[in-house]
Amino acid sequence: MKHLSLTARMSLMFMLAVIAVLTVAGLSFNELSRHHFRMLDRQTLVEKLESTQKIMSGTRGRADIIKVQPQLNALLGAHEDLAAIILANDGTVLFAEPRPFNVPEKYRLNPDHGMWEWQEGGHMYRGMTAQVIGPDQPEPLTAVLILDVTNHMHFFETLLRWFWIGLIISALISAALGWIVARSGLRPLRQVTQVATLMSARSLKERIPLEPVPLELQQLVTSFNAMLARLDDAFVRLSNFSADIAHELRTPVSNLMTHTEVVLTKKRNIEAYEENLYSNLEDLKRMSRIIDEMLFLAKSDNGLIIPELTRIELSEVVAKLFEYYHLLADECGIHLTVSGSGNVLGDKLMLDRAISNLLSNALRYTPEGKTISVTIRQTGNAVTLTVENPGEAIKPEHLGKLFDRFYRADPARREGNPSNAGLGLAITRSIAEAHQGKIWCTSANGWTAFHLEFPAL
Amino acid sequence: MKLLVAEDEPKIGTYLQQGLTEAGFNVDRVMTGTDALQHALSEAYDLLILDVMMPGLDGWDVLRMVRAAGKDVPVLFLTARDGVEDRVKGLELGADDYLVKPFAFSELLARVRTLLRRGNSSTTQTIMKIADLEVDLLKRRAVRSGKRIDLTAKEFSLLELLLRRRGEVLPKSLIASQVWDMNFDSDTNVIEVAIRRLRAKIDDDFEPKLIHTARGMGYMLDAPESE
Repeated sequence: MKHLSLTARMSLMFMLAVIAVLTVAGLSFNELSRHHFRMLDRQTLVEKLESTQKIMSGTRGRADIIKVQPQLNALLGAHEDLAAIILANDGTVLFAEPRPFNVPEKYRLNPDHGMWEWQEGGHMYRGMTAQVIGPDQPEPLTAVLILDVTNHMHFFETLLRWFWIGLIISALISAALGWIVARSGLRPLRQVTQVATLMSARSLKERIPLEPVPLELQQLVTSFNAMLARLDDAFVRLSNFSADIAHELRTPVSNLMTHTEVVLTKKRNIEAYEENLYSNLEDLKRMSRIIDEMLFLAKSDNGLIIPELTRIELSEVVAKLFEYYHLLADECGIHLTVSGSGNVLGDKLMLDRAISNLLSNALRYTPEGKTISVTIRQTGNAVTLTVENPGEAIKPEHLGKLFDRFYRADPARREGNPSNAGLGLAITRSIAEAHQGKIWCTSANGWTAFHLEFPAL
Repeated sequence: MKLLVAEDEPKIGTYLQQGLTEAGFNVDRVMTGTDALQHALSEAYDLLILDVMMPGLDGWDVLRMVRAAGKDVPVLFLTARDGVEDRVKGLELGADDYLVKPFAFSELLARVRTLLRRGNSSTTQTIMKIADLEVDLLKRRAVRSGKRIDLTAKEFSLLELLLRRRGEVLPKSLIASQVWDMNFDSDTNVIEVAIRRLRAKIDDDFEPKLIHTARGMGYMLDAPESE
């Protein structure tokens, strides 16, 4: 059943259902008919037995049977399958028309009004026995009435045979019908499949139309479309990523090439060569850093960034980073403040790096004379570290993408700062995720805040 | 000081040899693990620089056999693979340091010098002098030309680092790591600012200048006469 196609499965089930219904109906009909015939037979026997008793009750002893014989024959003559036997108490057969029967002893001698049946020589009989006790009767007589019901039995055998034949034919027809119904019922599924088959990386923008799809499949199609949307999003990010890598590396490489070629076009003094080499060194360092950061992100994508967890007090990390960054902040007249505290389980080096990225990012965008404030809050089951700085707010449409690789809210800044490749926030997010934490950004009314949340200890 | 460089990539190998030779070391270079092992066992080196991936024996095999032969020479690994397992494996086998490619030559040089210094017990000097600058490491005081110079704690640490490794170009990453415990590459120019401030205090009003910038590489403290 597991490997059958849906169509085969449905036709098979349809067929089984039809067989079950027909069998129940057929057997009930059979049983009802048998019951009906039995009732008819019983009625006939009872009527005739009563008439027989009436006729017999007028006789006086066994010698008188001869007198009522014509009456009895008339009674029997009306019914060709009916036979009557009249017995004396000692077992002598007084009357047997149209022919004597070898009625089993137990039926013959048990005169009650129950109907009995027995089979003999391919015939089936039903009978009834009654005692005739009249006021003028010197001895009790027994009347036995026998009805030959062989015809009924033949009828039932034929009925049953045709029933089975009919059942097989209906089963086959229903299987065929089921197949047709299932196939046409499943047509929308095949159409959806066909559309899905045609999807490729190029056509991730396409969606399966919902209108012609039946209700049961709409959920599937909706889920499928949602999956396509996610794939498309990831794919676009990936393509952008590759394009960005190419772009980020192309700039320093073309600088290197142009500069080196220009320097080599003619003989120069040693300072010029030195200058060229220094400039090359700067570009190479920048490339090397991008490669390192890309490697970190690639490892993080593959779940290879495994933090070495120790208990870390975030306010201490911030204090240490402030010691480092305050030099730079002083230069720009920016104040750094920290408040709150919270313990997390984390990798010291990675947390240093994550928070350092947020700080250097904040330093980059804070105007002179303003304050960058770091707040650590311990709430229930999470510790949140917020780095907040005044500065031009980031547009809401950029907020979600800030953590994408090479993403910069302001494309004009791209070339501005050669040491900042735009991977810092992506790395911070990777680190947060490696710690089962998350990062998000809020920005409004001239304030921008990055929130880093870790599970509490 | 005699070093052995085992590196199968010819370009890197040549430049390593050239750079280290010019830094004043006596450098032998081999291209395969087998040669490296043979050299390491037959000659006395102060330091082995081994590439992990080499034809024949790899760096780990060489290290294992060198250690098995009872040689206690310091070993610095170079590798293109940066996996924690690799690092742990190397350190378990008895490597002394580990550098991931691509690396800056100044970084390599600084690490080589650290490893070589580790052998000789570090200076127990508490007062260090260079030109007319005198630094008392115990009292955390610096005096130049008889004038007391006020330094913050970090400025003092920075000066101490430069002094202890005078004549060496110290990469910014090394300074950040040693003075501020920032063990990752940060893309800001904090170190430039720190050096500028230190210079303002110990160099600006005095001659000769002691702190030198090695452009693109790092900083160095040295007096003119010792150059």
